[in-house]
Amino acid sequence: MMRTPKRVAMLAALLALALFVAACGSDNNDEGGSVKSSAGQKIPQGKQGGEVTVLSAGDVDYMDPGQMYYTFGYMIGYSVNRALYSFKPDNAEKPVPDIAASDPEISADKKTITVKLKSGIKFSPPVNRAVTSKDIKYAMERVFSANVPNPYATGYFGTIQGAPKTPAKGIPSIPGIQTPDDQTLVLKLTEAKAATIAAALVMPLTMPVPEEYAKTFDAKNPSTYDTHVVFTGPYMVKNDASGNLTGWKRAKSIELIRNPSWDKSTDYRPAYLDKIHVDEGNADATVASRRILNGSALMQGDGAPPAPVLKQAATRFKNQLVLVPAGGTRYVAMNTKLKPFDNLNVRKAVFAIFDRNAMRLTRGGPIVGDIAWRYVPPGIPGFDEAGGLNPPSDLDFAQNPAGDPAVAKKYMLAAKDDGVPVTADGKYAGKEKLLMIATNADPGKKSAQVAANQFEKLGFKLNFREVTQDALYTKFCGVPKANVNICPNVGFFKDFVDPESFINPTFNGENILPANNTNWPQLDVDSLNKAIDAAAILAPGDERNKAFAKIDNDITALAPAVPWLWDKTPLIESKDVQGVADNYSTVWHLSFTSLK
Amino acid sequence: MIFRQPPFAMATYIVRRLLWMIVLLLVISFLTFLIFSKLPSADPVSLRAGRNATPELRASIRHTFGLDKPFFEQYRIYLAKLVPFDTHKGFKPPDFGYSYQNNVNVKAQILDRLPATAGLALGGVVVWLLIGIPVGIISAIRRGKLSDRIAMGGALVAISAPVYWLGLVMQYLFSSDIGKVHIFKGSGSYPNTGSLFTDPFHVAPTLFLPWLVLATAFAAIYARFLRGNLLEVMAEDYIRTARAKGLRERTVIFRHGVRSAITPIVTILGLDLGILLGGAILTESVFNIPGIGRLAFDSIQKSDLPTVQGTVIMGAFFIIALNLIVDIVYAFLDPRVRY
Amino acid sequence: MALLEVEDLKVHFHTDDGIVKAVDGVSYRVDRGQALGIVGESGSGKSVSSLSVMGLTRFFKSARISGSVKFDGKELLTASDEEMRRIRGNEIAMIFQDPLSSLHPFYRIGKQLVEAIQSHRDVSRAQALDRAVEMLGLVGIPEPRRRVDSYPHEFSGGMRQRVMIAMALANDPKLLIADEPTTALDVTVQAQILDLIQRLQSELDTAIVMITHDLGVVAEVTDDIAVMYAGEIVEHASKDTIFASPEHPYTWGLLRSIPRLDLPRGEELVPIPGRPPSLITLPGGCSFHPRCPYVREAHRKKHPELDSVSADSEHVVRCLLASDTRRRLWRELQDGKAPAEARDVVGIDAEEVAP
Repeated sequence: MMRTPKRVAMLAALLALALFVAACGSDNNDEGGSVKSSAGQKIPQGKQGGEVTVLSAGDVDYMDPGQMYYTFGYMIGYSVNRALYSFKPDNAEKPVPDIAASDPEISADKKTITVKLKSGIKFSPPVNRAVTSKDIKYAMERVFSANVPNPYATGYFGTIQGAPKTPAKGIPSIPGIQTPDDQTLVLKLTEAKAATIAAALVMPLTMPVPEEYAKTFDAKNPSTYDTHVVFTGPYMVKNDASGNLTGWKRAKSIELIRNPSWDKSTDYRPAYLDKIHVDEGNADATVASRRILNGSALMQGDGAPPAPVLKQAATRFKNQLVLVPAGGTRYVAMNTKLKPFDNLNVRKAVFAIFDRNAMRLTRGGPIVGDIAWRYVPPGIPGFDEAGGLNPPSDLDFAQNPAGDPAVAKKYMLAAKDDGVPVTADGKYAGKEKLLMIATNADPGKKSAQVAANQFEKLGFKLNFREVTQDALYTKFCGVPKANVNICPNVGFFKDFVDPESFINPTFNGENILPANNTNWPQLDVDSLNKAIDAAAILAPGDERNKAFAKIDNDITALAPAVPWLWDKTPLIESKDVQGVADNYSTVWHLSFTSLK
Repeated sequence: MIFRQPPFAMATYIVRRLLWMIVLLLVISFLTFLIFSKLPSADPVSLRAGRNATPELRASIRHTFGLDKPFFEQYRIYLAKLVPFDTHKGFKPPDFGYSYQNNVNVKAQILDRLPATAGLALGGVVVWLLIGIPVGIISAIRRGKLSDRIAMGGALVAISAPVYWLGLVMQYLFSSDIGKVHIFKGSGSYPNTGSLFTDPFHVAPTLFLPWLVLATAFAAIYARFLRGNLLEVMAEDYIRTARAKGLRERTVIFRHGVRSAITPIVTILGLDLGILLGGAILTESVFNIPGIGRLAFDSIQKSDLPTVQGTVIMGAFFIIALNLIVDIVYAFLDPRVRY
Repeated sequence: MALLEVEDLKVHFHTDDGIVKAVDGVSYRVDRGQALGIVGESGSGKSVSSLSVMGLTRFFKSARISGSVKFDGKELLTASDEEMRRIRGNEIAMIFQDPLSSLHPFYRIGKQLVEAIQSHRDVSRAQALDRAVEMLGLVGIPEPRRRVDSYPHEFSGGMRQRVMIAMALANDPKLLIADEPTTALDVTVQAQILDLIQRLQSELDTAIVMITHDLGVVAEVTDDIAVMYAGEIVEHASKDTIFASPEHPYTWGLLRSIPRLDLPRGEELVPIPGRPPSLITLPGGCSFHPRCPYVREAHRKKHPELDSVSADSEHVVRCLLASDTRRRLWRELQDGKAPAEARDVVGIDAEEVAP
């Protein structure tokens, strides 16, 4: 969609008004400053008992830990299942042993990992028996089956000896996963990647699954274990005698009750609440947010409060709002394989002109997060080493969050010398329309429109198309052949707490895929690729963090995308709820929440 | 009751219409299949596979969904499951397939959500008839007077107000949890088990506000329609005869006038009800009522073809069935109609 | 005392386009058991005057009614709505032109008859139904007890009109007004219906007002005939007089436009040239003057009154020509002369005005 000058002027006027109002209403970061942040929080004590209702718009994607993928699924999943390692709410960087008894032991050649398991952990009814290492082995094997499609299986665990390269018929037996005794699990790898694998043992696919019970369900394609899951967490989904999850009414509600097999002494979780009721289908976020803020015993599920309600919450309901560093970076990706963004100076000019404050305003202003300077977000190791919340001191085009027209002009004129068609006053002179694919839903739509304006400031002409969020990833931005020039609505949120996941799939030229591509700028710089590969095999620790921090800055210097926001996820609750935020999955942590 | 025509005429008519229904449903199922296969908004395989999926995983999922087969083969398989007849087993229940999104049986899910939509639709129908018909009649009788002008002006506003907006405004004004005045139960109060038919005393109060919102526009439309009809009918010759016979004016208006004016309403009522049974998407969304409309909307967003197909066919079925019922009822209301 | 006495009845409709003077000073009387025919083209005011007798014009918000309508001594124009309702369908009944659209299509005729009966008589449904069956038999419908369950569209046109007549007469009205009862029927059926009306009139002693545009229809049934034009009566005399010695050029025109058995075949029908006037803007002077072959200058300005013809006080005519002149003209026309010829023969000149 072409923006006529009149519309641009109107939008600019509206933005100016909005900025004016925002400036009048608060002073820059005051709003965000006076609201609680969960970073570095202390875990409070809570009262036993009570029931809370969680309001969500959608449903969990899966109950099956082997297939769980979306954040909301994690919110439920982590309160009913235990993985080998997990994160306590006050520390999202270092996992603690959960079903494991101690930290994983890594062999000297970095090809073997040994994990010892606690005893006394049992499955919920109807299975009701103790968890053994065999259950972990089965859980990890089943995700390599075609019946339990899990994208993380080969991606993260493909280096286990005997792991199938393609989805197997039935449940494969993987020799590299060994169970010398009931409390010991050994992983043998084909490469020296023990450090990465060890970090990945927090993933849901390590949550135990009893083979004798699950195999009938897993024999079907797709597996029907999803509606018959058995649980190891303090809570469980209500089920009947045959294991059928009667408490899960799809897209309607979920009933969580206490798991009678859970032994408090084996767990760090207090599990104050007796019951949790999840009410789904609350499609209108404003109505749901208002109900939470004004009501009793309600909490937010998925669906952040929209900007106007958020503003209200930040002023009138301060004690019911918590901001959680979301562990993600939003950026506007430019296709470096197509003109004109194949030219570095052009990209630097775009970076320079970008009004990132205005972008942030479309999501609600300073309260929703910090301006992003690079691609690895706060809360991830290496963030501070790369420069933390300060702009990169050595990059003049990345200094000013409001945009810097003078610097932009300088780089456009430099691009002119490279042969790019640029007018004398630094505007792009090419006539072609650059394809920009945006999402059709707010607030992403608004952000995309503001992004479009930034490009137009430099004279670029755009073919602005709106599509659904899913299509954006699966048909356009994620498909190099679609030749999209600009993807304003992309970003990367953590899979787990490691800088590699923000750098490798997203900026390594070797990881440009023909479909489901996440290297949206299609950056492919040989020296950079090598550096990333070298850093990836380093063990977790200072050396690794420093290496990725340097790479983060090097990529920023290449300006393949304009980072603009390090989200803080707002979480709201009713006034009688004492919620504890989970810094890892950026949702309320149900096992630590209590009523006041 | 005397049959106005040979008794078989009605039966053959019904049989003919039922056969047509089957043809139409087949055509609709094909068209939906075509549209969503050839012009998907997103690739269901990619959605299911997630980020970083290997090509092998995606191929495996594609195979599970049967999306690697040629188009007509896919349709043939789909149709074979859908048609309630099998060359081996004889009659079998129709199978609408399984959701790509979460592998749920589509038919089970639709049937599970049907009572919510039905409760909303039927209650809405009752409310709008209770409001719209008296308003229409009174407006016609007092044509030109202040009460008529107010009623028709109000009707215009009611028709123009978007349903979603109206639903939100009503909640912000009258909802028991977030409204200014706590009268009605608002969004989220519809229970997750039970429906209007199994648990009326508990469920009905949660539907008052949705019924009101749903009924507003329809009541206005029906009032205007009935008013126009009634004014036309009152100018007919048989009204003159009724008066010439010395009947009371009230009898003339109701037994002679309204009786004629109201029969076309039956036709549009059937159509409107049929459409609503396919899912009142906006009302269901704004009030969080787990009905077929919301199911259709969610599944379209997620490119979940089997569920989309299922809801479309179900919606089409209701519209066609109600169309047929309305035509039959019309024959009883208007003795001049013959089949 | 006459059964029905209409005196100087005026019915004006106040519309956005102007005042429609549908009936502009009409007077007539009908005695018990008598039959009056009112003849005229559409727009002459013949129907509206009868509707006003029934009180049905009260339902038109724009109508202004004045004058006097006395039925059995009672003034109807000032009677209350409830009083009028009791009279309608009971003491005065009316049947209309198109029996298909005049009967409610959704109700069986038995029910419609019973309804008519029960709104004026305190009888049970069974009794009312018996009466309905009796009336259907009276009007000549075969198997009345079975046909009473039929719907109007299941009858033929003639049968339907019989049903209307049965319904109208069910409560033994003293006066029956028949507004174009045979116009929608084909000729053979017309004759049957007229026979029926005549028979009922003599059997039941009902007074009849027969409204029609067709002189042939009133030739049988009526005793008196009033000819209406542009909202006024222009000639009123006994039936025989109207056919034998009419004295208004309009009546002549009507007579000459009827097909007649006693004239040779192939003889052309002579329609009256021109069209009836707008009732909002009447022509001024004599309302008929634009279409009258014998018009004189004075006729354009002076509006004629209804005067009786010398020999016969029951015969009144609204015309400015002298009675003598008119009789001469009629003789010429009867001889077969065209109006222009007749005028020349009689020698009408511009100055002659009736005294």
